[in-house]
Amino acid sequence: MAVAEVAPTVLRYRLRYLDVLVPATVIAVVVLACLVGPALFALPEPTGGDVLESYMPALSPGHLLGTDPNGNDTLSRLLHGGRSSLLVAVAVNLLGLVVGGTLGAVSGHVGGLTDTVIMRLLDVLIAFPSLVLTLAVAQSLGPSRTNTILALAFFSVPAFARIARAATLRLRELPFMVAGQLCGTPTPRILLRHVAPNIAPQLITFGMLGMGIVIVIEGALSFLGLGIPPPAPSWGNMISQGQQSLSATPSLVVWPCLTLFVTVLAFNLLGEALRARWSGR
Amino acid sequence: MTTVTRAAPTLLTSPGARLVGKRLLMAVPIVIGVSIVTFWVLNLIPGSAAQQLLGPEATPAQIQALEARLGLDRPAPVRYLAWLGGAVTGDLGTSLVSGQPVAGLLGERLAVSGELVMLAFVISLGLALPVALLAAHRPGRLFDRVSMLVSITGLSVANYVLALLLVLVFAVELALFPAIGFVPLTESVGGNLQGMALPAAAIAFPLFCFYTRFLRGDLVDQLQGEDYIVTARAKGIGPWQVLLRHAFRNSAFGLITVVGLNLGTLIGATVIIEQIFALPGIGQLMLQAINTRDFVVVQACVVLFAVVAVVANLLADLLYAVLDPRIRYGSR
Amino acid sequence: MRRRLQHVSLVLAGLLVLAGCGGGAGPAASAPAGPPQRGGEVTALEDQGFAGGWPTGLDPATSTTGGANVAQLGAIFGGLFVLRADDDGGNAKVVPNQAESAEFADDGKTLRITIRDGITFSDGTPFDAAAVAFNFTRDVGSTCTCAPRWPLAQNGITTEGARTVVLRFTRPYASVLNSFPVTNANWIVSPTALNAAGPDAFKVKPVGAGPFVVVSNQLSSSLVLERNPRYFKPGLPYLDKLTFTSIGGDQPAYQALLAGQAQTYEGLNTTPLLQQAQTNDRLTVTVQPATSPYVIQLNTKAGPFADERARQAIYYATDFDAIAKGLFKGLYPVSQSFTGPGGLFHEQTVPGYRTYDPAKAKQLVSELGGLTVNLGTLRTYVAQQVMTALQTQWQEAGITVKTDIYELSNLVQSFNSGQWQAMLQTAGAWDPASGVGVAFRFASTSPFSGVADPQLDGLLDQAAATLDAEERAALYRQAGAYISEKSYAPFGLAFAPANLAVRGVHGPGLTTKIPPIVVNAGILWDEVWRTQ
Repeated sequence: MAVAEVAPTVLRYRLRYLDVLVPATVIAVVVLACLVGPALFALPEPTGGDVLESYMPALSPGHLLGTDPNGNDTLSRLLHGGRSSLLVAVAVNLLGLVVGGTLGAVSGHVGGLTDTVIMRLLDVLIAFPSLVLTLAVAQSLGPSRTNTILALAFFSVPAFARIARAATLRLRELPFMVAGQLCGTPTPRILLRHVAPNIAPQLITFGMLGMGIVIVIEGALSFLGLGIPPPAPSWGNMISQGQQSLSATPSLVVWPCLTLFVTVLAFNLLGEALRARWSGR
Repeated sequence: MTTVTRAAPTLLTSPGARLVGKRLLMAVPIVIGVSIVTFWVLNLIPGSAAQQLLGPEATPAQIQALEARLGLDRPAPVRYLAWLGGAVTGDLGTSLVSGQPVAGLLGERLAVSGELVMLAFVISLGLALPVALLAAHRPGRLFDRVSMLVSITGLSVANYVLALLLVLVFAVELALFPAIGFVPLTESVGGNLQGMALPAAAIAFPLFCFYTRFLRGDLVDQLQGEDYIVTARAKGIGPWQVLLRHAFRNSAFGLITVVGLNLGTLIGATVIIEQIFALPGIGQLMLQAINTRDFVVVQACVVLFAVVAVVANLLADLLYAVLDPRIRYGSR
Repeated sequence: MRRRLQHVSLVLAGLLVLAGCGGGAGPAASAPAGPPQRGGEVTALEDQGFAGGWPTGLDPATSTTGGANVAQLGAIFGGLFVLRADDDGGNAKVVPNQAESAEFADDGKTLRITIRDGITFSDGTPFDAAAVAFNFTRDVGSTCTCAPRWPLAQNGITTEGARTVVLRFTRPYASVLNSFPVTNANWIVSPTALNAAGPDAFKVKPVGAGPFVVVSNQLSSSLVLERNPRYFKPGLPYLDKLTFTSIGGDQPAYQALLAGQAQTYEGLNTTPLLQQAQTNDRLTVTVQPATSPYVIQLNTKAGPFADERARQAIYYATDFDAIAKGLFKGLYPVSQSFTGPGGLFHEQTVPGYRTYDPAKAKQLVSELGGLTVNLGTLRTYVAQQVMTALQTQWQEAGITVKTDIYELSNLVQSFNSGQWQAMLQTAGAWDPASGVGVAFRFASTSPFSGVADPQLDGLLDQAAATLDAEERAALYRQAGAYISEKSYAPFGLAFAPANLAVRGVHGPGLTTKIPPIVVNAGILWDEVWRTQ
């Protein structure tokens, strides 16, 4: 009896966390594979392959997923490309989180003229269609990984700032905040001690969705030739190059597309699950 | 005499109209700000616009000569004001590569991008409304779960991947729709719509997913938590009536804001989609200009995109104001 | 920039047989498709990285990309002369078209071109000697890669009567005729229309006397043409409407042809796609004769390659045989000089050519204390792949390589700046003296050359001046050996553009072979027709 009663509870308990655990596991696997995979499986370098080993099909000896037109190992490019894509996504979202979060929190907490000025400035940035602005920045600075990060940060900062501001405004009337202000605690201290920890969950949740968005947009930039410059791999430029002979060599496109999709889906699911939890829905 | 002033507020003095006026006034600095940012971004490090135009290997003398010819040796604020003065009167300068007036180039391509955006917008919203309502009608049931699964999947597919997939399936394999090309509406309405089908679908699908998720989530929240729903239910109003008459009315406001904000993404998507489907729109023009380093054209395209996004936001705000009785009657 | 293939190579012969079995996609040898039919329309696709980019318009004198837009310009302007060949690409010859005849005088220092009687531009104004001379004068000052490089004498362009234009050169220039079809001087615009519209409007809607007239033109995007009712050849052109559409590369073009949105595509060069297209019985694939090999131009006037040892290191570090095998599946022969097997004066090998030897390359690089190179090429997929392969090979030899990608119009600017270091390009043409030929890449007077060597200039001038084929062949052999000896620029595979047409579309240069005079074969659009 007792066992029968306990089992469903454990199961339900586990199921409740499945929506977080499954995507988190997928993300962990992708990140680990990208970081340690190449060394672990002793994969060849992602560039500088032997051109005589070009266009090898999947399951060829030494090349599990085959090779590209220049004889580079597709799996190695996929994992190294993942490093690039993830690095860009993490950097852009961290920039957004820190810079945007600070701007938003200050704006929401201080209010008044500061708020108006910061938010109007950010309104200008948010008015830009993100890809368009990113393209303009990328062409102005020239394609490179750092410039891609800077370009994408242009729209992650205002997005994080808006969320941080809204969250901070909601906090303002709460008793501990009012108490803090009445005690005359200096503003930076309040922001750091009370505001930051309270708005962090929402920002991190948005960051998960942001990871997906950035990976896709970085891909779009590379797809248009303005992201990470070949021959260095990224998922976007692998898709872009592979589609040049899509009908004859579909596998060059299928692998990066699939990896990109699974990774973005995992980040989206995790973001949604966290948001549902956070909003108590 | 007092009756005159107490008469129903005219259109101009109503709180709603005042809000409209305020929003319009706010849009102006944003548009100006947008153009400044664009101007600044395109003049960013490293090197000048002339350097970009001539390539990384130009000599300083060549750069100086070109700068003088293009008037780039003037200080940036002067150049910006000159550009703004022209832009206000419809003169966006001439292309550095083709020598054509930029306004003309934009004009002939505006119809293509405009149609693409409108189609994608109508398709995505037109499908999202019924799907979200059906899903929210019985949350947790099969239709809800399937639609949520489809929409989160759709949100995770990059539109360029989706476009490639659509072309392979519907143009190459099934030959139902053309893979490339644009037929002007004036030439053949059917041909035009056929040609626009795949590109519009590639933009619309992720957007449809986004709207569906948003609206469904908001509807469910309303149905579960709000007092007025409980009251309505207590009065014995049917579930569909509650959903449509009450919950949807409220959720629509949030949706309008989200749609307005999202129009920027929608417009940005045209750049990549026009490229894939060889559509002669603004996005294609901008990409060509980026590749030929024709910054005058790039600048005009970016500002145009941004202005459209600002105007879309403004319209969303205004629609909100017109529909929301609290704003219309000045209680907020 | 691309695709050249040896039409005599056994490999290809094998492929043609295969293609023939796979539904008769065999090129050239085309069984007579019946008498041409009038009417119908064709949409022609062009790669936006090359022929599909016309950002500076289509006025031959002001376009900077005219050498790439031969198809569009030929359709609008026809040409004073055209290159014709047998269906298999043999017996290629430049013949008068809007011109009636051309005669040399004064030992090749004077050329008299007589215009056909009674031709009018599509605006009704007469196509006469004055109009042609007006055009020549505009064209020689043009910044296009396709501007004629004539050694003109003072006041060298004159007219004699209403139908004869006289060109006077400072030295004998026999090869002027063979170069005509790739210079903008071949495409004659209506002076009246130009003056009426002004140069900026005219470059969008130019007026000529070719088989088609411009209906609308969106630069680098779409060019709609319709039949010119005043065209001087009775019954031609066959087509009522011809539309050029710019497309993002071989793959989308291939898809668009299969999906039925377009009927022709010029210059397919992605090897796996070429192989796939050849087995598709809905398409006719015509691999054109190979005329121009890849060349790695080295700027010997400034930068690292002023030092001969650096140039030798590049020769030793480069393994085009591997690239030909790996990237191109051995479809294209590797050339050691500036000619391809489909062109005149071809020599496959050059005695003493520095072939791949990484050990020597490394040694030279260490002697130099390291070598850093900026390598550039055009924004086309295959050129970028070749560039990546070169980058890998050079890096293995200890050379640091940075790469740049250019649009055609920016490439011209970069050459003009004189600060470039290495460029992956194609050199050579059907006649080495013409178009993007050997002088274009190697003469000191050419802005697109990295070499300034009086001795080489002398050889090339002499070859261009000579009428006798044997003598010219000997001179070009010497020039090839000299370039190799001085390590001026390593050559690569000579590639052939493949033209694709859906079944039922026929035309010279499209479904028959004509040696490509620059990169793509000059399709004679007035004779292109479609089975109704």
